[in-house]
Amino acid sequence: MASELFPKLITLLAFTTLGTAFLLIVGRDLAGQVRLLAAQSLTLAIAAAVVAAFTSSAELAGVAAVLGFLKVFVIPRVLNRAVTKIGLQPAALPYLGTPATLVVCGGLVTIAFYVMAPVAAANPLPTAEAIPIAFAGVFIGFFVMVNRRRALTQILGFLMLENSIFLLVLLTTYGVPFIVEMGVFLDVLVAVLIMEVFVYRIKENFDSIEVDRLGRLRG
Amino acid sequence: MSLIALLLIPLIGSALIMLVRSRVWFESVHTVAALVGLAAGLMTAARVWQGEVPTAIGGLLRADGLSALMVVVITLLGAIAALYGLGYIRTEYDDTRLSSVRSFFGLFHLFIFTMLLAVTTDNLGIMWVAIEGTTLATAFLVNLHDTPRSLEAAYKYLILSSVGIALAFIGTALLYYAGASRAGEIAVNWTSLKDAASSLNPQVVRLAFAFIVVGYGTKAGLAPMHTWLPDAHSEAPAPISALMSGVLLNVGLYALMRFKVVVDIAVGAHFAGRWLLGIGLLSLAVAAVFLIVPRNYKRMLAYSSVEHIGVICMGLGFGGYWGVLGALLHVINHALSKSLLFLLSGNILLKYQTTDIRRVRGLLRASPLTACAFAAGTFALLGLPPFGPFMSEFLIFRAGVENGSVWVVILGVALLAVIFAGMLGSVNRMLYGEPPEKMEPGDVLTWSLAPLVVNFALLLVLGLTFPDTIAAALEQALRVLGVSHA
Repeated sequence: MASELFPKLITLLAFTTLGTAFLLIVGRDLAGQVRLLAAQSLTLAIAAAVVAAFTSSAELAGVAAVLGFLKVFVIPRVLNRAVTKIGLQPAALPYLGTPATLVVCGGLVTIAFYVMAPVAAANPLPTAEAIPIAFAGVFIGFFVMVNRRRALTQILGFLMLENSIFLLVLLTTYGVPFIVEMGVFLDVLVAVLIMEVFVYRIKENFDSIEVDRLGRLRG
Repeated sequence: MSLIALLLIPLIGSALIMLVRSRVWFESVHTVAALVGLAAGLMTAARVWQGEVPTAIGGLLRADGLSALMVVVITLLGAIAALYGLGYIRTEYDDTRLSSVRSFFGLFHLFIFTMLLAVTTDNLGIMWVAIEGTTLATAFLVNLHDTPRSLEAAYKYLILSSVGIALAFIGTALLYYAGASRAGEIAVNWTSLKDAASSLNPQVVRLAFAFIVVGYGTKAGLAPMHTWLPDAHSEAPAPISALMSGVLLNVGLYALMRFKVVVDIAVGAHFAGRWLLGIGLLSLAVAAVFLIVPRNYKRMLAYSSVEHIGVICMGLGFGGYWGVLGALLHVINHALSKSLLFLLSGNILLKYQTTDIRRVRGLLRASPLTACAFAAGTFALLGLPPFGPFMSEFLIFRAGVENGSVWVVILGVALLAVIFAGMLGSVNRMLYGEPPEKMEPGDVLTWSLAPLVVNFALLLVLGLTFPDTIAAALEQALRVLGVSHA
């Protein structure tokens, strides 16, 4: 019974993370986007916990706990601080409008399924079915980064990309070893803190956090 | 034990610098850490060259012939840049800007630490963490001058490099998965992955390598993922540019080399070789376009790094004994000559206060010592005899001809000729002419240039002779890469 339920539950959770990524694309205000990121991270932590329970892996349970603490509490708090300091303003400023964006993302999902289907088929794990979904999340994270002008939304895109990679690794291999996962978390945390500082400096120097204004270095 | 010491020295150095707020303290800790680090690096390498494979922390750290080569390059050029950096930072920042001084010295050693960790770990996941760590350690260093330009460069560098190598993590995880189903839990180690390589699912391996090329290729500055490089390398302070261009790019290449060994066993040498040839040639072409008439001498040096990393990739792509030997030699030669030129560019910048080639005139009269060294360094970099790069480029293209890729060689050499003409012309314009009127003749930082004698000496040694010790060291690295003398 449990073993039948497990892959379905995982697929459902994977779809939920992809759904939050789509909501981020159409979202408009920064605070709401930070909440979406936290929600995605929470889904991810639950997915990791489910896999940990299914495989009775203490290591993975630890990873799930650290992930939950770091990405559901610490990082959203850091980002919220940045949002408050910069002031609430419409966040989106995408290059493409919502309908076009959705079309592109739909295309990206299709491509993701096409590329990852052989890998998923060759994978013996019960979670394999959801691998293309996670990979679609990677693509969409990328797209958010290139489609948004605000430095802060680029950071959100980066974190969603990172989340999708975590999910992808979880589904293909039940997670990389504990020490590596901890190292990756440390890197992500430090990266976000550094990016936050740069967002402040860009705001001070350019009086805006639109990446468009950064165009002095050419040739 | 020596491996742990090697990694602890820069880490402790960095921590000590962050603790106290005294300039004398920063400078002394910095110098000691750089020199002791060099000694530890040479000692570690010496042990490897005697045939040992030192390991530590249950095999997490491991140094073979290829690691030893990289450790020597990192610690040697780290020490040279560190010694030059003392004078450079003293000229650039007075005592009112001690926090910048501290950031420089502290992050400098953190940067060295992350690079050393990347090349001395057997765990491919830890290697990834360390390489992402190099980006984080250098982000503030790129922005040390804190101008809008350097801020832009640092932000782009941080975002592009992080996203780029996030892809490498997917590749690593896919290979881990391919290995884990064969070799069990430890398969994220390079050694166990290599042992299991012949039984890996080729389809997964091919997909994984595509991610790895794009990912670590971003870090190595290969086109078309090179776009952050000219910005970051030109805005960073000279000693950091020297290390980023001369050494850090090699760490990205090192990661590619490690994976290539596994992929070659799993799917045959042609697959990875073709990728590297294509991307190497593309890098050469992109560099050539920007080097026809460069306007900024630091950006010129940065694009030249794209070119040379491309040449190294071509060497790996041609493969065979001579191709890979040429690639490894070129790693050393490029590191020596590029760090030399970036350090000298610091002297030019301090003297002229501009990076614009058109505004640097009469360098030979204004700063004769810097000018002569810069000219000689450029000759070395452009592959003129009697310097080392001539030999390594010759070996690489010879390997290409032997391999039957004559057209690739012709295209490569033609692009090199374009670059040669563009760079030589620009450097000539800087050297001759009348210096600006109010400029006092005389070099800045003459004594800081003393360590560069080491670069010149080694470039000449590698160009004119081929000492047995270096040959033996390279032989060991070649064996790690799965190439032996046919």
